[in-house]
This record gives sequence, structure tokens and C-alpha cells, in this order.
Amino acid sequence: MTNATTTFDTTLADLRDRALAALAVADDPEAMAAWERAYLGAKGELTGLLRGLGALSAAERPGAGRAANAVKQELTAAFAARNEAVASVSLEAQLAADAIDVTLPGRAPILGAEHPVTRMVAELGEIFALMGFQTVYGPEVETGHYNFDLLNIPSDHPARDVWDTMIVQSEREEIVLRTHTSPMQARTMEQTEPPVRVIVPGRAYRYEAQDASHEWMFHQLEGLAVDERITLADLKGVLTELARQLFGPQRKVRFRCDFFPFVEPGVDFAVDCAICGGGGCRVCKQTGWLEMGGAGMVHPRVLRGVGYDPDRYTGFAFGLGIERMIMMKYGVDDVRAFAGNDLRFLRRMARLAA
Amino acid sequence: MRVPIKWLRDYVDPRLAPEELAHRLTMAGLEAEKTERTGAGWDHVYVGFVHDVRPHPNADRLVLADVSAGEHRLTVVTGAPNVAAGQKVAIALAGARLWDTHSETPQLKTLKPGMLRGVKSEGMVCSEKELGLSDEHEGILVLDPGAPEGVPLADWLGDTVVEFEITPNLVHAFSVRGIAREAAAVTGQPLDEPPRFDLDAAPPGAGDLVRIDAPDLCPRYAAVVIEGITVAPSPDWLARRLTAAGLRPINNVVDVTNYVMLELGQPLHAFDRANLRGGRIVVRRAGNDEPIETLDHQQRRLDGEMLVIADAERAVAVAGVMGGVDSEVSAATTTVLLESANFGMASVRRTARLLKLRTDASARFERGLDPNLASDAAARATHLLLDLCPGSRVTAARDVYPSPVVPWAVRFPFSRFERVVGIAYPPEQVVSVLERLGFGVALPGGAGGDVIVTVPTHRTDVTIAEDVIEEVARIVGYEGLPDTLPAGRTPPVFRDPIALLQRRVRAALVGAGCYEAITYVSVSESMLAPFDSIGDRRGLVLDAPAADLLRLVNPMPGDRPILRPTLIPSLLERVAENLKHAPSVRLCELARVYLPTEPDALPREANVAAITLSGRREPLSRFAADPLPLDFFDVKGVVDAALAAAGAPEVEYRPFTHGALHPGRAAEACVGQTRVGVLGELHPRVAAGFGIENGRVAVAELDLDALLALGGDRSPVEVRVPKFLPVSQDFAVVVAKQTPAAEVERALRQAAGPLLTDLALFDVFAGEQIGDDKKSLTFRLTFASPDRALTDAELTKTRGKIEKTLAQRVGGSLRG
Repeated sequence: MTNATTTFDTTLADLRDRALAALAVADDPEAMAAWERAYLGAKGELTGLLRGLGALSAAERPGAGRAANAVKQELTAAFAARNEAVASVSLEAQLAADAIDVTLPGRAPILGAEHPVTRMVAELGEIFALMGFQTVYGPEVETGHYNFDLLNIPSDHPARDVWDTMIVQSEREEIVLRTHTSPMQARTMEQTEPPVRVIVPGRAYRYEAQDASHEWMFHQLEGLAVDERITLADLKGVLTELARQLFGPQRKVRFRCDFFPFVEPGVDFAVDCAICGGGGCRVCKQTGWLEMGGAGMVHPRVLRGVGYDPDRYTGFAFGLGIERMIMMKYGVDDVRAFAGNDLRFLRRMARLAA
Repeated sequence: MRVPIKWLRDYVDPRLAPEELAHRLTMAGLEAEKTERTGAGWDHVYVGFVHDVRPHPNADRLVLADVSAGEHRLTVVTGAPNVAAGQKVAIALAGARLWDTHSETPQLKTLKPGMLRGVKSEGMVCSEKELGLSDEHEGILVLDPGAPEGVPLADWLGDTVVEFEITPNLVHAFSVRGIAREAAAVTGQPLDEPPRFDLDAAPPGAGDLVRIDAPDLCPRYAAVVIEGITVAPSPDWLARRLTAAGLRPINNVVDVTNYVMLELGQPLHAFDRANLRGGRIVVRRAGNDEPIETLDHQQRRLDGEMLVIADAERAVAVAGVMGGVDSEVSAATTTVLLESANFGMASVRRTARLLKLRTDASARFERGLDPNLASDAAARATHLLLDLCPGSRVTAARDVYPSPVVPWAVRFPFSRFERVVGIAYPPEQVVSVLERLGFGVALPGGAGGDVIVTVPTHRTDVTIAEDVIEEVARIVGYEGLPDTLPAGRTPPVFRDPIALLQRRVRAALVGAGCYEAITYVSVSESMLAPFDSIGDRRGLVLDAPAADLLRLVNPMPGDRPILRPTLIPSLLERVAENLKHAPSVRLCELARVYLPTEPDALPREANVAAITLSGRREPLSRFAADPLPLDFFDVKGVVDAALAAAGAPEVEYRPFTHGALHPGRAAEACVGQTRVGVLGELHPRVAAGFGIENGRVAVAELDLDALLALGGDRSPVEVRVPKFLPVSQDFAVVVAKQTPAAEVERALRQAAGPLLTDLALFDVFAGEQIGDDKKSLTFRLTFASPDRALTDAELTKTRGKIEKTLAQRVGGSLRG
């Protein structure tokens, strides 16, 4: 061992100790960068010392070089560890400074919503599509021929009075705002051969004084199925499926004999009230049953009127009031809200689960 | 129709509580709308007997009455002028709840014993008003002498009245007997018949007593002449039944005709024969403009198609509708001619409608009455009249009925029950149900053959197999009907293209912040007036000549007779309403407008979408303490979103002029030569007309039918998924101030070529640095290629091309 190597070793050890001591007190990114410059940088002390290896003898150089490299590795590792710690402390401080009151309101996206009638029609369309029904639409301004005559409602019969009709000015043909979506029964059957399975959602109109449960414009959904083996029991099955999809899996459908000129037998159908379970409440008016609409087997005169052979084909038809279904499902207490389009109502309805 | 249950029990004992019976009938098609109990609140009120009436010691106008009711014996003070010893009365004891006759509004009061002028009154003899039976309060209610003293009044006088809805098919159940027949069928209990006079035994009278000149409108006319009539008020039981059924008692003769109408469903009329000139009846068409004063004291003019009942000289009744004043039964009447006739339903319906005179009689005739009912009703009414007028007698009975209606047969395969209903009824059940309803049934081949049903003539509503099938199904009930799903074929899949387009556009509008509205389809003249365009047309994106628009004959009150050619006015009303409470209102509607095609034909129902935006762009918040108002560019952005969702290619916006829109802030959106939309800010005067003051209203209307036609080609295109990063460059283009931005954009797009994937204008600047007549538009263009990373050389080349094109096309230069 020469003096030169001893001096080098001493200097190296001293450098290492000073460097580690300085590293231990560096506690922010600036100090860390300064430390790195001072010891490990291109002009740093260790780099300088390594450059001085050339001054040593060839015999001394390998031992001194290994020692110096070991210190470099040690300091590099120590720096990395310390740097990680300092960076993480620093980030934490920064994040702490960045903290907010998370209960402050968010930036509200501008949201719109479909009208509740649209939503209900879409839901019904989906349910019926799964049972093989096409959705078709028909004219809202109709002839008396389709709105009444082909539906077995002759003009000299009191049955015509049941519909308080809004009449369109016309010199020749009787033109009306359709009083129901039923005219599409005849229009559909005229255009196609059985099997027929359609639903017809759309607006309908009646000259009726407005109050919480009457509105002159409303929406109906007509259903029609005609084929060789369609029965009243099929009608009940389809309506039971509908009721269960809309109001819950345990629902029951009840038929009650009723009169509509274009069906025979005719029924009105009700669903047991899901809100009170049939015990009676405000929504079902204490009856335990929610009346949903009229239905029945397509009258043979209607079939014959469109050129179908009633001895070969039978069919069922039904009509639902869309607003009524929504009112029953959600307990809406005033039908006028649907044409009122008050944003408060529309927003409230948009928030309700389907 | 109101049916007192006690009356119904004359015909059938249903052995059910009234509420249960009402429910069973409802399920079978006779809907009970309401059930009322009279006497439900008559606790502590009894049938009492007045033993003595004595003067009040301290008051001239009051008397003391000693009344007993079973074990109760009491003295009451009363001012009733008609109280007398020996009467049966309604006696209320302490605790009874009676209607307060001194109160302005109806209210119940609990009876307490009290002192009246120094004498203790222990109860009260009641008037009809106090019992809630009527408004009668002149004197007390005097009960029938046969009323059993001491029983609760409710047991003697109380009743349940069920109100049934009579649907147009239910002519056979438009009477107490008809409903009793239904009740018998539903419960299986036997049906009784009321006593009738045997008219066959009566003298036929003069040959010309009744003559029918219009047999097509009057299949039958039965007349009964009864002499020795004493017109008087009806007895209690009769008056009470009529009142309970909703008719006002008048006198015994009129009341009997009404009673039998309610009981059997056959309207009757009684003429004072002394006022029938010639003493006879002619059934004929009216003369044109023939006058008659009807019982409601209206002078009416008839036409030549209306049927009248006339005497030898003039019309004395409008057949099936209302009698005339001249032959009305009065206190002086001693001989009546009772009419029980059948008139054609269409004729009565027409007459009642033209005279605007719907009566209990016309409501029955226009449903189509069984002609065989006429003799039945005449016999029943005669029985009652003879009963009520001792000493009266039938002097003539004439029944003109040239072509009697007989029961008809309906024959069909028994298997049809199952084909229609879906369940096989046992043959015995079918026979039993139909027989209970009065049908004859034969099943010659059993369940494998035909069923032959003989329909009683009162069932005018039963003519085909399905009618019979419903009779069985409804009486058996639908509870046992299984739930099955239709088997067999389904139709081909069909999805209406316009509905699919509407769905996409609606989703875009809702996504752009609009609430969907559904508004009324008719508008007023004044709502529509501002939406005028050249040539006196009305509308927005679509329009039609004002004079040709469809109009309602009977619009709802509020006078909105016009079927709308644009959705905007209806939406504006909703905007104005909502602005009263909402800081910003974004509404859209997808609906039809009605465009006339040719006179008196159905209109074209065109599908449009409308958007209305008004108020603040953002909700008030800490991010936007003073939000800007919604304006043209908001609606344009929404329109862009909707058109993109509709798949519209290459939309071009051009300035547009329309009476309802701001002259400098309106545009039409076009695809090629097709106008697909109109948008703009509402003219402030139009907005003010809808009650929207001091605010911008941005509106748009899109022609969905046109968009559907344009988007016809749905063949697949190549969609290459981006794999290389895009490069963005900014271009500040200086152009003349009046150059539309769209022209600059077009030039940029053309020059940039297929590598351009996105373009955004993000700054518009005007200032001295660039010259007073110039503006600077800064665009960010994004370039990418699907198959390679772009090189600087390519971009430099593109930039050069852009610079050249801008100079050539819009006289523009790049700045900076």
C-alpha cells in the first residue's frame, strides 16, 4: 500500500461520509438536485475523484477504481432512495395544498329528457316486440269511414255518441281527429294478410272538458292480432305479460264484460293494484283494481269489412291509455300535466326509474 | 240508470247484498257506477204513531204531539202545519243526525232534547229535508198508514239505489225488469212478472182510432182509452220510487207512464183525449216546417222526415221524443189515451239530434226497442192506472202491428265457443246459461254439432254467433279464463324508418339538453299569424296557404281551430309558462304538422322536430355567476347535433328571411337544394306576443321527412379505425369583414384535402392591427392518415396549398 492509495482511500471515505450526511438533510427537490450536482454530476466531487484515478499507478488503479465505483453505486442508490422519499413527501404536500371541499356542487352537465309518454310508448313497444308485434303508426286526421264505419260504429247508431268527436271542416267526406288509435286496425288489415300482430301508439282526441282525469288530447296504444287460432285466452295472456312487465311479476289481469262496437265479446281489463296489493288505495280508488283499457275479439263485421273471412280468422284487439298507464304506475294525479310540459314535472318524471 | 233495489226485488230476490249484486252485474257487463244508500244515517229515527196533537200553552204556531215508537213514548214540540193525530211519522230521538234546515250549506246536526217556549221537546217529527230525502220542508213527512210503528225508519223507508251505466248495446237492460233479468241470470234466482191488465179482453174501439201512415218509421202503435180518470198526486210508494230513480213525480197519470218506462223500458205517453181533435191518432211524417209546442214549452218547427203523432188535424207529439202541450194531461183530464208504440231507432235519433232534445224516451227508442214490448207496457200501465183511479175503465184498446217480430235463430258450430274464447264450455253449462237469459237452445249434434239458439225479441243486440258466445262467457265469468300466448306465425319484422329517424333525432336533442314536450295540435289565428311567409302562407320549415289550413268545426273552448302547420307557436306557449319559474328553458317536440293536400281530403301529416331555447345558457352556479343568454348559436349547435344524428351529409346554412324571425339572425339549413331546417332567433315583437319580454328565444324546426329521403342510402361505408396520432395546426386567416365564415371554412376544407379529420374555428378577431375592413378567423385543423404517420414535408405542402386556395377563393391571407 502506497501513500498515494492511502490518500485516495481517505479522500474517498471522507467524500462518502460527507455525501451521505448531506443527503440525509436534503429534504426538498431543489436540495436533492443540488446534492446530485455536487456529488454525482459531471462536475461533481465523485466524478472529479474518478477522473483522478489516472494519477495512480497501474497497480493501484484497479483497487482504487473498484472502491470508487462501489462508493458511486452506494451514493447513487442512496440518492434514488432519498429522492423517492423526498418526492413523495413533496407530492403529498402538494396534494394536501390541492384539497377541496368535495361537498361543493359539481359542474352540472346540461341534461334533457324524453317526455314520459315517449318513454312509456318505447317501453311498451319493446315488450310487445318481444311478443312478435310490429309497431305501426296511422294518420291522426282520419275519415269517418276508418274511425267509425269500418269499426262497426254506423252513423245512425247511438254507439257513435260514446266518442265525443272533434270534427274537421270538410264539405264532402266526414273528417275527424281520430277518437282512438283503432282506425289503424282496418288500415293495417286492408294492407296485409294474416298473420297480423301490430301495436299502434299515437295521439287521439276527444271533445271533452278538461279536468284532473280528462284531457282532450291523449295517447293510446292499440293492439291487434289476427290469425287462424287467436282466442280470448291469448288476449288475456298477452295482457298479463304486459301487466307483469310494467307492474311487477305477481300481477293478475281481470276481464270484465264491456261493450265496444268493434269487438265481440268485449271486455275491459284491469290489473290488481300493485301499490296496495289489492286492498284499496287512492290510486285504485279503493277498488283494488286499476282499469287499463278496453279489449275483445275483433268483431266479425270488422273482419268482413276489410275482406277477411271471419270463419277462418279470429283476432283480438285492445286499447291502452298511455297517460293513464303512467298515472297508475307512478301515481300522477293530474292528466293535464302531460300537455302542460312544466319542466318541474318533466324533470321529476325523468328521474323515476322505468 | 238509477235502480232502487226494493223495486228490483219485485222481480227477483237475488239473495245477495246490494253491493255484491252490483259487483256481479258489473263483471257481467252492466256497470254499477255508484251505489247510494238512503237511510244509512238514520240512527235513532223510527216509524212513529201520533196519538194526540195538543195546543202549545205558550205559542200559537206550535203544537205538542204525543208520539209513540215501540217502547218509546214522547212528547215533541213542532210547528209543522200538517201534523195530525193518527198519522204515521218519522220520529227522531235524541242523538239522531238530521240535516239542518236553517243552514245555508247542507250540514248534519245532532238532535238534542230542548225547551221550546217553556215546554220540553224530547224528539222531532221529521220533514223530508231533515231526512235528506228531498228539499221538502213545508211540513213533516207523513208515512203510509201501513208503516209498522216502532221499526227503524231505515228498515221501512231506506233503500239502496244502484246507478248503472247503460252502454249503447244494453237496450234489454235499460229498465228495472231488464236489470232484474240480468240479476236472475247471474244469481240463478227465478224472475217474477208484475200484474198486467188483459187488453185482449178490452173493446177494440172505433176502427179509425189509430192509423199509421208511416209504417216504415212506426212498426207498432198500441192505444188504450181509459175513462173516468181522476188526476191527482201519486201515492207515496209510486212518488218515492220515481224520486229514487231520479224522476220528479207530477201526477198519477204521468207518473204511471214514467214508472212503466223505468220498469219495462218502454216509453209511454198519455194524451188528454178531450184535446185530441177527432179523438183519434194518426202517425205520420210531419209537414215541412210544421209547428208544435212541446211539453217543455218550446215552439218547434219540424221537417218532413220527422215522425209525429197527430190527431185528426195537427201534430200532438214528436214521436218517441216528447209530447205536445195541447194534449197534455191536466187536472181537468178525465179520459186519457195511452200510447205504447214502437218507433224506428234511426228516425228517433235523427229527430232528437236535430231538435237538440234528448229525452228519457228518445234515449230508449234510439237504441232499438223490441216492438213486442209495447203491448206488455200498455197492459202494465193500464193495470196501474185502473188501480190508482178507482172507477176508471178501459173503453177501447187498439193495437196496430202489421208485421209482428218473432224470435230469430242463430246457428253455429258448438266448437266456435272454444275457437273464440279458448276454453271448451260443457254443453250443459251453455244450455243452462242461455236458458236463464231467456234464450231457447237446441244442440241436435251435441258438442260435435251445431248449436241453434232462439233469440227472444227483446235481445235486439244478439244476431251472430259471437253475440251468443259473449252471453255465455260473461255470465259464466272470465275468472277461469287461462292466460295463453298466441301460437303460430308472427308477421315479418318491420321497423318504420321514420320512427327510427325520430328516435335518433330525439336522442340527439335530449342529449343536447332539451326536454321533450308534447303540445296540443291546434292553434289560434293569433298564435299562427306571425308565422307568415310570402304569399300568405303559414308555417316555418314547411308551410301552406293560410286559407287552406285544416280547421276544426268544434274546437275546444279557447278557440284554437287550426290544425298547426308548425310546432313552434305551441312550444312558445310552454316556453313562456316555464320561464315564469325556470331560468333556462330548452324544449323540443317531435310531432306532425298538417298540410292541406286538396280540399276535403286528408292532409299530409308531415313529421317535423322543433327546438326552442330561451333563458340562461348555464344554470346559476359558482362557475357561472352571470350566465349568458341562449342565442342563435346555441340553437345552431343543437341543430348540428340533430342533423348529424339524422345522418345528413354536407349541411349548408344560408341567411333566411321569415316574418317570425329576427331579420339578422335567421338561417335555413340546406342539403343541396333541399331545405331541411329553419333556425333563428325569434323576432322580439313575436316573442313579446307570446309573453316573452326582454329575452332572446332561439328556435328551429327540422323537416324529418326530407331528412329521411336524403338519408336513403344506408349501404355500408368503410370505417378505418385510427392507429396513428393526428397533428394539429392553427391557421389565422385574415379576410374581408363581410366574408362569411362558412366560405373560409369551405376553402380550408377543399385545400386541406382528405388528410383533414377535424376543423374548429376558435377565434374571431377584428382590430387595428389587421385593418378596419378585415377580420381574422383562427381555425385549428387536425390532420391524420389512416395508414401512416404524417411527415413535416406533407404538412408543409398542405399549408402552402391552403395559403394559395385562401388567396384565390376568399381573398384571404394567413397571419403570423
